[in-house]
Amino acid sequence: MRFLILGSGICLCGVLLFSCGAEESPIQEGPTLISLEKPDYFPAEQPMPAANPLTEEGVRLGRMLFYEKKLSKDGTISCASCHQQEKGFSDGLRVSPGVGGAQGTMNAMSLANLHWQTRFFWNGRSVTLEEQAIIPIEDPMEMNLPIQEAISRLQNDSDYPKLFSAAFGTEEVTAERIGKALAQFERTLISANSKFDRWIRGEVELTPEEQLGLELFFTHPEPSIQLRGGNCGDCHLGFLTAGDPNGFSGFHNNGLDPDERLKSGLQSVTGNAFDRGKFKAPGLRNIALTAPYMHDGRFSSLEEVLDHYNDHIQNSETLDVLILEASNEPQNPNDPVKLHLSEQEKKAIIAFLNTLTDQEFVTNPKFSNPFK
Amino acid sequence: MKNIAYLFLAFVLIFSSCSEEEIPAQMTVELNFENTLNGKPLQLNSETFTLPSGEPFIAKKLKYYISNVVLTDTQSGAIYNVPNSYHLLGEDFKSTVELGMIPSANYDQITFSIGVDAEANAKTDQTGDLDPNNDMAWNWNSGYKFVVLEGEFTHKTTGERTGLVLHIGRNQNYKTVTQSLTGIRAGRAAQIQLKTVVDQLFLSPNALNASELPSTTIMGGELADKIGENYANGFITIE
Repeated sequence: MRFLILGSGICLCGVLLFSCGAEESPIQEGPTLISLEKPDYFPAEQPMPAANPLTEEGVRLGRMLFYEKKLSKDGTISCASCHQQEKGFSDGLRVSPGVGGAQGTMNAMSLANLHWQTRFFWNGRSVTLEEQAIIPIEDPMEMNLPIQEAISRLQNDSDYPKLFSAAFGTEEVTAERIGKALAQFERTLISANSKFDRWIRGEVELTPEEQLGLELFFTHPEPSIQLRGGNCGDCHLGFLTAGDPNGFSGFHNNGLDPDERLKSGLQSVTGNAFDRGKFKAPGLRNIALTAPYMHDGRFSSLEEVLDHYNDHIQNSETLDVLILEASNEPQNPNDPVKLHLSEQEKKAIIAFLNTLTDQEFVTNPKFSNPFK
Repeated sequence: MKNIAYLFLAFVLIFSSCSEEEIPAQMTVELNFENTLNGKPLQLNSETFTLPSGEPFIAKKLKYYISNVVLTDTQSGAIYNVPNSYHLLGEDFKSTVELGMIPSANYDQITFSIGVDAEANAKTDQTGDLDPNNDMAWNWNSGYKFVVLEGEFTHKTTGERTGLVLHIGRNQNYKTVTQSLTGIRAGRAAQIQLKTVVDQLFLSPNALNASELPSTTIMGGELADKIGENYANGFITIE
């Protein structure tokens, strides 16, 4: 139900007419274009990439590839091993295991509303979803399969060449087409039916606690004008509660480590020393289902996350200024960075975060394993 | 007889070339903004800048709204009010406003406002550049930030890395500016170059010394209004 199957009826009629008529082979129809069905409060100006329009056949292929264990060296894992639907497409682990007992170093990111994001991976090393989608196949810490081997496995499969033909016009399997199909499927993963969404649409009321949490979430505190805030919405923007898609604006150092322990993060991509220790601000849709938290999965609960932001910010040369400058109490210049939220306010923010859970999304059969 | 024919031909040619110079009824106009600091193009995450009060400064974000653009030809009295005119600009963000095809005139004056007007500021369920997903809606209750500057500077007395967070909004800080234009000819595509001078947020009429600010987060109150007065004055000018 999350995407419109535009024209598929017309297409079917065409085929029927042909089969009723002459005995000529039916005219080869191209893949069927579909559009994302998205709520009107999501950003409007976000075109589909011209080189990878969304099609029914592309999405179907992408879904199969997403759950395809042949894309890992020993056939034991697929994308879905670390991106499990019932966990908001994350895996519940601190860092994710790859094939052959390999251990990754990063927490598997949750997946939702990716069409509105740019710069993928925690350090932003992929510019497009298409580019991102094939990297874990080859990564030795993940699926560890050379892309040529992945291509030949699919090319020699009894079903995939036909599916590639339906999606892209010919049976040829290429790395680019694998990426395109996976990206198409991932774009259909729209989460827009949480309680927060229903509140935006005016269908439900939030509890007073959730309402307080929402207001705190989206407010930067300013004690001089008695404005209390949780400072979350400075990085997790708007209805998507996701990072800023412009340039590298969606990457932040959120005070996890002091200078001497800062990982390179975005700096490994930009080479800019001011980007040291910055990681992607992820979308928070389904956040209550996607523990543990942070790029290295160091926090096991939302309570720990709130305690971090409230009391345990580590100052460093690249600590985000919106964290450095955020407090609910007047600060002296040399005070440690503390947000000074009350226990009740922290609980309220967690109550709001729980309204971001979208049960329909995590149970939608369109996103589930097609091999089951 | 032949001469008369030539004369006739010449007449036709002259006439037709005259008619080619007729002024088209419409023209395209584009506004281009360049953000500057210390007289140089602004760059985010770069350490080559200082604040007017002298502190080394690294800018992290600059975004601002321009709204209700009006072009005037003071000679003919022609006035063009850009419809639905709300434009979010910024560094590493949009720097051009295309007005599209507008009625031709020798426009010699531009009026625009910094911020969004009280009517648009009273709701956030809007689209385009007022889409609350653009990171400029304050929250669900209180409209938009008009001018956002975020960065960090080295504090003069503590020597500490200090954040500077200016989120200026509220209806009293909606400021209207009128500037003269030169060189715009009716019927010809026009590009109006504007310069956004970040220094001016701190200069006049209210000189602000970053290391002496009572709070380096300014999101409302008297200091915010002082910055509003400053940006009404030479923050955005015609080059």
